Amino acid sequence: MNGITDTVLLMLEGTETTLEIFVITLVAALPLGLLASLGRISKLKPLSRLIEFYIWLMRGTPLMLQLLFVYFALPMAGIMLPDIGAALLAFILNYAAYFAEIFRAGIQGVSRGQYEAARTLGMTYGQTMRRIVIPQMIRHVLPPVSNETINLVKDTSLVYILAMNDLLRVARTIVQREFDMTPFVIAAIFYLAMTFVLTWGFKKLEAYYGKYDM
Amino acid sequence: MGDEQEIMVRLHQIHKTFGSNEVLNGIDLEVKKGEVLAIIGPSGSGKSTTLRCMNRLEEVDSGSIEIEGEFLAEENGEGVTEYADSKTSRRLLAHMGMVFQQFNLFPHMTVMQNLLEAPIHVKKQSADEVLPLAEELLRKVGLYDKRDSYPSRLSGGQQQRVAIARALAMDPDIMLFDEPTSALDPELTGEVLKTMRELAEDHMTMVVVTHEMAFAREVAHHVIFMADGGIIEEGAPDKLFSDPEEERTKAFLQNML
Repeated sequence: MNGITDTVLLMLEGTETTLEIFVITLVAALPLGLLASLGRISKLKPLSRLIEFYIWLMRGTPLMLQLLFVYFALPMAGIMLPDIGAALLAFILNYAAYFAEIFRAGIQGVSRGQYEAARTLGMTYGQTMRRIVIPQMIRHVLPPVSNETINLVKDTSLVYILAMNDLLRVARTIVQREFDMTPFVIAAIFYLAMTFVLTWGFKKLEAYYGKYDM
Repeated sequence: MGDEQEIMVRLHQIHKTFGSNEVLNGIDLEVKKGEVLAIIGPSGSGKSTTLRCMNRLEEVDSGSIEIEGEFLAEENGEGVTEYADSKTSRRLLAHMGMVFQQFNLFPHMTVMQNLLEAPIHVKKQSADEVLPLAEELLRKVGLYDKRDSYPSRLSGGQQQRVAIARALAMDPDIMLFDEPTSALDPELTGEVLKTMRELAEDHMTMVVVTHEMAFAREVAHHVIFMADGGIIEEGAPDKLFSDPEEERTKAFLQNML
């Protein structure tokens, strides 16, 4: 019979997997999403169309299907990835697409006057985006990015389908073995703790970026 | 005096359409060094578009544009207008500063950062080099004490004065003003006009699209009246305002005064 301490320790191990997927996905999908959003608004039609198609594909199919597809299809194509690699690839591609659309809306929310002012001051397109548009965009997109980030914490639990021992799968295993609901409650508390930290962090970020518009 | 004055901007036969709407139908004008040119006229007359063609915020369909003796846009042998390559274009446009109706300050930067941004990142000047000039400009527009404020904390009149200082920080030869007081409450226009008047007294070459008839009459050396995409009448302000030749000009001025 496992004591509650053992249960919590096992679940902390599961949390490690959950956090690993979460952090790596976020760190990779945010810049990738930014690049995709810039491609999406690019005047190069083929590039813009290609990104549009990618976003449609990623948003139009279940994340679960994408996970399974990457997990089973890549080995068939002769590409061997560790389980976590396959999971990460699917998560990053999926989340980058959502972030791309959020960033695009944020970029388009910056007024034309800002581009014109930058242009009359001699700034290049790259400088204008980097120094004028993107910093203002970040302020506007923090609330939706915060939303997606919290979704990501919970979406990590989908990896149970790939037999990876994340927080939820560990909890379920113990529940099935012990006929005790406590692990589910503990899992809920762990998820809540993670989303609490995120909510707090985004609130700080919003305050920081909001300092210029009262 | 009496010498041929240097031409800073020359527009020749500028045509421009938006869709099927012809907004400029053959504009010819010259701006001389140290001159204040005011462009007046009803809304939709093409005066802002004329200004925006000077610094390529709008591209013309045909005609030529010269900045300080060099072509920004030039008609080739077949009558097709071609713009200078991007390097030349960038160099010519660097001679001009612009002030917008909506100020367009960078909201995520303080007043001082707004002034330093382009000199440091476009002209690649060092902060040590620009800072004294930026401080002097802020003193000149009376906003030195607001240097660390964000634009959202300033009144419209203050924002517009910062915008003027920001354009001046790039040390332009020509300043373009696109209805600089139209977005301001009436009690705030005075401070902006005062700053512009001081600039004119320093012999800055200025092109001002405005609805402020008193300002145009008092400060401008030359006034252009536009309507329906064309120049209807132009001349010295005293003559144009007190004794206009054209009926359209008379009707417009009667409405404004």
